[in-house]
Amino acid sequence: MGALAEILFGGLFQGSLYAMMAVGLALVWTTIGVFNFSHGVFMMLGAYLAWQLVAFGLHPAIAFPLAILATAGVGWLLQATVVRPLIGRANLVLVVVITTLAAGSLIENGVLTIWGPRSKQLPPLLAGNTMIGSIGVSLHQIAIIVVTPLILWALWMFLTRTRIGLALRAVAQNEDASQLVGLNVTALYGLAFAIAAALACIAGIFMGGYRFMSPVMGADPLLKALIVVVFGGISSISGPIFAAYLIGFFEAACSYYFGLYWTPALLFAVLILTLMVRPEGIFTSRGRGLA
Amino acid sequence: MPILSVEGVTAGYGRVTVLNDVSLEAGRHGNVGFFGPNGHGKTTLLRVISGLLKPRSGRIFFDGEDITARSARAIVGTGLIHVPQGNRLFPDLTIADCMALGAYSARARPHEAENREKVIELFPKLAERWRQRVRTLSGGERQMVSIGTALMSHPRLLILDEPTLGLAPKIKDELCASVLDISKGGVPLIVVEQDIEFLLELSSQLYLINHGTVATEIKPGESIAHSEIMSMYFGH
Repeated sequence: MGALAEILFGGLFQGSLYAMMAVGLALVWTTIGVFNFSHGVFMMLGAYLAWQLVAFGLHPAIAFPLAILATAGVGWLLQATVVRPLIGRANLVLVVVITTLAAGSLIENGVLTIWGPRSKQLPPLLAGNTMIGSIGVSLHQIAIIVVTPLILWALWMFLTRTRIGLALRAVAQNEDASQLVGLNVTALYGLAFAIAAALACIAGIFMGGYRFMSPVMGADPLLKALIVVVFGGISSISGPIFAAYLIGFFEAACSYYFGLYWTPALLFAVLILTLMVRPEGIFTSRGRGLA
Repeated sequence: MPILSVEGVTAGYGRVTVLNDVSLEAGRHGNVGFFGPNGHGKTTLLRVISGLLKPRSGRIFFDGEDITARSARAIVGTGLIHVPQGNRLFPDLTIADCMALGAYSARARPHEAENREKVIELFPKLAERWRQRVRTLSGGERQMVSIGTALMSHPRLLILDEPTLGLAPKIKDELCASVLDISKGGVPLIVVEQDIEFLLELSSQLYLINHGTVATEIKPGESIAHSEIMSMYFGH
């Protein structure tokens, strides 16, 4: 019983973080058709911005939303500077991998210069600990498990029930036809990047509340998010969400039975198998499209 | 004054020139047909008119305004609506979604309800499949969605790029009848078609586009024998 509870809880918790990261990556891929390799840096930057605002004396309830908005702004700016000018070029996917990596590296070192290498920590969403059955958990983790599905649900509603969401899904499917119904494709690209950055910032705030922050804290979540989207498929946002939780449970189970050291190796083994059997991902069909 | 005039347009992709000094006009009344062999610039010409491709030189006027430098989005805002070739459109959106998208521009939004009724009246089949994804529809239905989406944009001039391409004869006849209905409703059309019979019935003015230029123009009132068109098409 204890084992099951621990795996379930660990899986839900890790899955929430991965889902938060992977959805942003998938959103950018489906709308613009590029991989944003600075996505992990958005997460890190978001956490640092939140930390700075809290350090200024703002209450987290004000500091966190401000940090999310600011990170969204950075996402928009990055899109406008290193992605948009390249659209229409040959090898766009590869070129944008390089430019977003470069921009990410600049931001990472900028953060290192400004805030220094010393580890920092954010206040948790909820302070304190509690017991679920026989396992001790922090309220922060429980808050993450509860808040994440709500945010993902809100994103889903935004994409499927609003005019702008409809426009984003349209751009994801056919750019020329989108222009011919009068959509502002450039603005929608910016919006997709901004939303992705905001989601990454939320993930950063989640992570900064239970682990020490460092300028390279985004690297591992980016890698995991990439695994999630490869595993779940990137042609919609529901695929990565399911895959994120599945991988969360897988990791939790592996850590419990085989130990933390073996988990990455096993995860990659599963990934390679997935790529061999179903290269388009396990939850989706071929092609692009949100929702 | 013509509703659309194209003056000396040269355009292409990369180093390839597709259109070479094309000039033509479309009147306010009556429809215009473009025909000519595949790969000779008809679709490129339409892409230039609707702002998807910027010409290297030349100018385009819609209703007296120079729209050459405007974005595709701004051109949609003037009421010049282009239905692209092929019926790929938005495969994972429902018909309802597509119709909502058609009415996205600020100009079309106030007319959304009224235009939706018109589309349903014109294509009752779409109402039956309203919540279905476009990818699940037949070729003819998809073409109806494409044209319906354009009608939702409240067009002042509607450009159709080979609306009957790849359709079975019976469905093609139905669609041709619908296109004629749209025309009777008062919206002038520019239609690219391979079916000359249909074009002759629909339009008062024809342009043969060959090797990226206007090879022949058939003006309103000039009658033309089918055999003449055939010889233009295939040479002598």
